[in-house]
Amino acid sequence: MTRSIRYLCFGFIVGSLGIVYALPPAEGALLDGLMEGVEESLGKKAEEKGERLVIGNLYQAERPDSHAPIGVMQDHTHNKGEFMFTYRYMYMYMDKMRNGTDNLSSNDVLKDFAVTPKNMTTQMHMFSAMYGLNDTVTLMAMLPYVMKEMEHQNRAGVNFTTNSSGFGDTKLAALWRLYAFETPSIGSHRFHLNTGLSLPTGDITPTDNTPLGNNSLLPYPMRLGSGTVDLLPGLTYTGVRNDVSWGFQALGTVRIGHNKQGYKEGNRYQVNSWGAYRWADWISTSARLNWQQWYNIKREDGQLQTTVGPAQIPLVPTADTDRQGGQRLDLMGGVNILFPEFMGLENHLNVEAGAPIYQYLDGPQLKQAWSFWVGWQMVM
Amino acid sequence: MNNIALWILLASLSLVMGPGASHAYEVGNVQTGGSIHGRVSFLGSPPEPLHFKVEKNPEVCGQERSLMKVEARDGFLTGAVVVLEGIDTGTPFSPKTFTGNLPGTGEFRYLGGESLGLEVKTKDCNFGPFTGVIAANEAVRFQNQDSIKHVLHSFVSKDPRGRILRTVHNQDLQPRNEIVRVFPSDKMEDGVVVRIICNRHDFMQNWLYVVDNPYFAISDQEGRFTIDQIPPGTYTLLVRHPVLGEQRQEVTIEARGDLQVGFAFVDE
Repeated sequence: MTRSIRYLCFGFIVGSLGIVYALPPAEGALLDGLMEGVEESLGKKAEEKGERLVIGNLYQAERPDSHAPIGVMQDHTHNKGEFMFTYRYMYMYMDKMRNGTDNLSSNDVLKDFAVTPKNMTTQMHMFSAMYGLNDTVTLMAMLPYVMKEMEHQNRAGVNFTTNSSGFGDTKLAALWRLYAFETPSIGSHRFHLNTGLSLPTGDITPTDNTPLGNNSLLPYPMRLGSGTVDLLPGLTYTGVRNDVSWGFQALGTVRIGHNKQGYKEGNRYQVNSWGAYRWADWISTSARLNWQQWYNIKREDGQLQTTVGPAQIPLVPTADTDRQGGQRLDLMGGVNILFPEFMGLENHLNVEAGAPIYQYLDGPQLKQAWSFWVGWQMVM
Repeated sequence: MNNIALWILLASLSLVMGPGASHAYEVGNVQTGGSIHGRVSFLGSPPEPLHFKVEKNPEVCGQERSLMKVEARDGFLTGAVVVLEGIDTGTPFSPKTFTGNLPGTGEFRYLGGESLGLEVKTKDCNFGPFTGVIAANEAVRFQNQDSIKHVLHSFVSKDPRGRILRTVHNQDLQPRNEIVRVFPSDKMEDGVVVRIICNRHDFMQNWLYVVDNPYFAISDQEGRFTIDQIPPGTYTLLVRHPVLGEQRQEVTIEARGDLQVGFAFVDE
């Protein structure tokens, strides 16, 4: 099943590249010229209402909700020659253990494992840039700096903490405009294709001191990257009508091959849907649902200690490749603030925070408690 | 062998140029040209001007602005674009300047010569008059003389009323700065009109009809227009307006002749 999905995604990216090369060199949305029947019909309806149908690049940085909530990436394309720099900070807190949808106490976990995680924080500083290469393609690059901290307890009641930090995986993406149209009465509707690669620049052999010894190799959740080249296919739709905007995005992370430690992280899929309301020219608020599903690890890191003692007691759930998958639905609320022409540029300050309303974990695993995002975006 | 190479070269050139490569206008001598005089009338009541409360940059644009999409006086239409089609050779493009309606004083300046040479001088949140002309494949200089940013969004349409508009450029026009943009023929294919708007100021809306020769005119405040030094021949004379649409008639220009024509748009 996973292999089929991988081939499907690979085909999706190669196919989209093929479409692009097969099309005439004119710059524009990929489906321009292929939708004349639809356009005629929409144009006729618009004319009956005394309106005009607009086809084309409708990106406007001048609205606070011209960008999706800050937790969503690759949500919009840019006009030719336009740059956008973004700094994002994310703080995620995971607390207490869960198996399936059942909460577990530390003692529950310690019946089967020598050590249990108690909580974990992940902080990411993400630096990204988008550039409108032409009216068809917007390029994106993102480099995160990741800091992780996990608190544990062992059967002796001893608490200890491990840390890892460093640059994560680098993401490169091309966003292909598919189609966009607008009339005053039906609003504007934009579609684009997301294609990208994640390059394995994050450390997958972080170490720290533990009761087992100094410089122990840390388990999978503490690693800063996947160690593999990953495909990042996706599809995005956004809409705007008067003071309301909305969007839908499906994105995948499909792992290619196994990393140098001999394992492969599970694929990850997510669907975002959001709505925003513009209260004034400079402020909008948003609500977002984020569904994520991720799979267990294939094979294993042979250097990672997974048992302890002569009885070979499982060491910690985070070292078990079959206890990494899960599903989660997050509800997020956000605020976008526009600072027009601040330092001569369109600036956006965006904040978002939320918590899961459902999570099913192939546990025992730490469950997510809440997350917080803040970002500054400059369009030039 | 040389012939084969020549054919390959010609075939390659035809592929590069594409089937749509059109014959460009050439400047030549017109010794016995004729002229056309005419008036464009409007029968009916013009719609009320649109009024806009200025939300962005009122300190530059003013608190309120209006936009008159059909400007008629005493039954005659101002701003109708009159175009003579089908002329491949003739006089050079004449330099002309048209200024927008107050309070804005933007200008459409046509430098003339072997090409149209359009310059759009944006001033007081005004690109220029409501209507004008533009040529495909020519560089257009957009100047912003305001101290604020405008976002120039241009569209092309195959329909004189711009029923379906396609984006050509969507570009920031920084304060007291300029950009040069070409409206390429592949995007302008079959396009008859370019609409320019400012994404930040919704009252800034203009319509530029596509021309490929210098034989055009824009009706003045009395609805009058004149086109002269026309090579003798039979042509199609078009009059276009973004709200009222298009009318056309066949005209025959005789050597040193002066043809009087009239067009009448009716309020629907």
